[in-house]
Amino acid sequence: MCLKLQKGCGDCGYAIRPAVGRFLTCPVKEAKGEAAFEIFFARGRMGVLKSILEEKIPLSKDLAEFVYQCSECGNCNEVCHQTQNENIVLNTSKWIDHVEVWNALRKDLVEEGFAPLDKHAKLIEYMNNPDMRNPYGEEKAKKIEWFSEFSNVKDKGDLVFYAGCTYPLRQSITLKNMMKILQASGKEIAISRDEWCCGSVSLRIGDEKAVMENLNHNIEEFKKMGAKTLFTACAGCYRTLKKDYPELLGEELPFEVKHVTEILIDMLKNNEIPFKAEEGDLLKVTYHDPCHLGRHMDLYDIPREVIYKIPGIELIEMKRTRKNAWCCGAGGGVKSQFPELAIDIAKDRIMEAIETDAKVLLTSCPFCDTNLSDAIKEMGPEVQDKIQLMDIIDFIASKM
Amino acid sequence: MTEVYQKLEKIVSEKSLSNNIYVRHAYSRNVDPLLQGVPDIVILPKDTKEISEIFKIANEEDINVIPRGGGDCEFGGSKPIGDGGIVLDMKRMNKILNLDEENLIVTVEAGISWGKLNEYLSQFGLYTGCMGPGSGMTASIGGGISHHSVGGGGCAKYGACTNQLVSLEVVLPTGEIIETGSQANKYSKFPFNRFGNGPDLAGLFCGDNGILGVKTKVSLQVFPRPPFADYKTFLLPRKSAEVSANILTEIRHKGIDVYDAMYIPDVVVSVASKLGCFPLWEKVKRKRGMFFYTIEANSERELEEKTKQLDDIILSKKTENLGPEISDGNYAKWHYVEQGHWQTYHNLWGMYPALEPLTAECFTPINTFPTILSDIDQWDMEHSEDIAKIFEITRTRPITGSGPILLIDGNNVELTCGFTSFGSFFNGERHEIIDEINLKLWKSILERVTKWGVQWYMMGEFMSRLMVEIGAYSTEFYNFMKNIKNTLDPKNILSRGKYNFK
Repeated sequence: MCLKLQKGCGDCGYAIRPAVGRFLTCPVKEAKGEAAFEIFFARGRMGVLKSILEEKIPLSKDLAEFVYQCSECGNCNEVCHQTQNENIVLNTSKWIDHVEVWNALRKDLVEEGFAPLDKHAKLIEYMNNPDMRNPYGEEKAKKIEWFSEFSNVKDKGDLVFYAGCTYPLRQSITLKNMMKILQASGKEIAISRDEWCCGSVSLRIGDEKAVMENLNHNIEEFKKMGAKTLFTACAGCYRTLKKDYPELLGEELPFEVKHVTEILIDMLKNNEIPFKAEEGDLLKVTYHDPCHLGRHMDLYDIPREVIYKIPGIELIEMKRTRKNAWCCGAGGGVKSQFPELAIDIAKDRIMEAIETDAKVLLTSCPFCDTNLSDAIKEMGPEVQDKIQLMDIIDFIASKM
Repeated sequence: MTEVYQKLEKIVSEKSLSNNIYVRHAYSRNVDPLLQGVPDIVILPKDTKEISEIFKIANEEDINVIPRGGGDCEFGGSKPIGDGGIVLDMKRMNKILNLDEENLIVTVEAGISWGKLNEYLSQFGLYTGCMGPGSGMTASIGGGISHHSVGGGGCAKYGACTNQLVSLEVVLPTGEIIETGSQANKYSKFPFNRFGNGPDLAGLFCGDNGILGVKTKVSLQVFPRPPFADYKTFLLPRKSAEVSANILTEIRHKGIDVYDAMYIPDVVVSVASKLGCFPLWEKVKRKRGMFFYTIEANSERELEEKTKQLDDIILSKKTENLGPEISDGNYAKWHYVEQGHWQTYHNLWGMYPALEPLTAECFTPINTFPTILSDIDQWDMEHSEDIAKIFEITRTRPITGSGPILLIDGNNVELTCGFTSFGSFFNGERHEIIDEINLKLWKSILERVTKWGVQWYMMGEFMSRLMVEIGAYSTEFYNFMKNIKNTLDPKNILSRGKYNFK
């Protein structure tokens, strides 16, 4: 697969470090510090790929250990492709997609039996276990516990919510807050009692085959429920459902897929969310673009529009934002296989958020949330006193 | 090699030392598609002392050491020549050690990139003047000094990367550490001047292409960035190369301190426009050469006066000003305001999938480049048979010529010339014949250009050896250089193979 994709990288080195205003390129490279060999970032990887294609070095388990130390955030792709102006086009943007290349290499490693790595393999095993169907190894029934207290959740309907695995199993309070917001506006939703993991985990790892059963099951389930719109609060599920599913199927889905912020913005525009009256100074907040929402799906404006509409706050952007937002470090399977690396990357992002003088760091992805939160904990009370991390949903709920 | 590795483990942290096959292959190439050399060991040194110790081991064990900054050389400069040796990846040594705001001197570790340094300086309203090599903001300060690099912006006004050099700390190939310029006086508290205390020994290491020592600490003069600037782009009439040469000469004769001035040849404009790289020039009917300039000033009045002088020169040559905005065709504004540098070349290499450069970079007097460009066209016609063989495989014809030509300090321009071709791995298959033709043509075109008397600056593996192989060096100069090399590096440890030194 990677044979087809690795064409035209000139090894220019753009994707290593900054062009002006891009403030560094690869979070893994920066986090690696004294061990930041070029194999950990784009140019070195492209060089290794060339050697593989020329049959000078083989695929191996050893290679996999390097390849999976990448959050697939896509910043290298942006730096390589971006002119920052539509009037000048870098033609490389038409045929090199770094993330696709990295992912193709992962697929090759899986196909040749050198991947998944041990912790990744466990995630996939859990995901495909009929008693679990989630990568956390939790019993299936546990995934639907969170909405047992909401009697108005329907079994069928036009608007179906896909909870995914991380929110219901690790951050169910956020989903409960979401229900509180939806209920306040009288919006009714349907939720499946038998949704399976979307398969994002195995797709990022490069095991495409492992996801097909989940994909087919989920689509049938949502069709049976009569879904016209399927929405999710998880950035990873959003990318998988909206981008990967149609690509894997080779056809459009029979329903539209939205991120929760796209639902929230409509509610906010219609004044359907009853906020508390705000007094005093504006609260400074900043927003971290999750890679799976931003660079991967181009969803930059709507989360910001949502934030702007929350009363009593001032949104201050971080230095690296939108297309060049610094990754939290959790993606691409890094959090599960290389947790220390993930936290090292996250620490950098936390410091950047603190530099804005914001008191609240908002995000809209449970993986970013978990990893940034772990970093804050590790950074200690001094940092914990300076900034509070919140999901946009929880933040809205706190203002109602 | 295991024994060497064990010795190195005693001085370098385990995390910063690798002999892993994949790590080594990541350091086996530069930008060109042809040259590869796989090192035995890669090290990310922590500091000057570590490098000094590494050299001592390398001398004991007779192992080649290759310094690598940003790794942006297009001709195999920062990887081994042939397989083997130790690559020193300098990117870890990237600290800003001191900014002397009063004396306008910054001191950095040599592995820092021009981009990162300028990002830092911009917070103080300062810049490095010459913004670094055209090979990219990713390029390191040490690499820029090692090659007299130009092309990152500001070269018409400030000259090459080495023009602003104040002092160097260098590790010699035998492991000794020296400091140059004002720092030769042990009582000097901080670097302030390059010249004096004897000969300009910093100059010995400027443009040495990494053969005489590893730069570890660099002090550069920095400049307040003027608050006013203007930038204009002009469509040139026929015979655009000659017209642009006349414009550049006149700018120099009138002593206007233009920040940058650049000519984009007809072939670049027409091919890149056809391939959709330049929507800003879609409205331009005749896709001919373009000329643009950037001028800086300390007041609006000064800017107005300088701009008028430049426009008088340029418009008198039947050129057409494309307008103030990027969308009007003002390429110069994009570079200065949005990009902050002049890395045009990279944008052009990627015009077709898998197209890669087989070029080299030289200086030549302004009044010579139109003739050289014309001869490059002639060379292309003479070699059309070989070029056609590549076309038969790739269905895209390699492009011969020069990238944008820019004015540098003095009455010179920088010429990045050669041809862009394809790697031997094309569309999932290996075509060894492409490598053979590429190598033959690459040598041929650069030999041809050399014979116009140009001065190659970033020479890497390819040009440093080609100059020797075709007998282009004067015997006296080459022997003198060889003697210096032998004195400083008796075992030829550093960058072995460059200039064919034995």
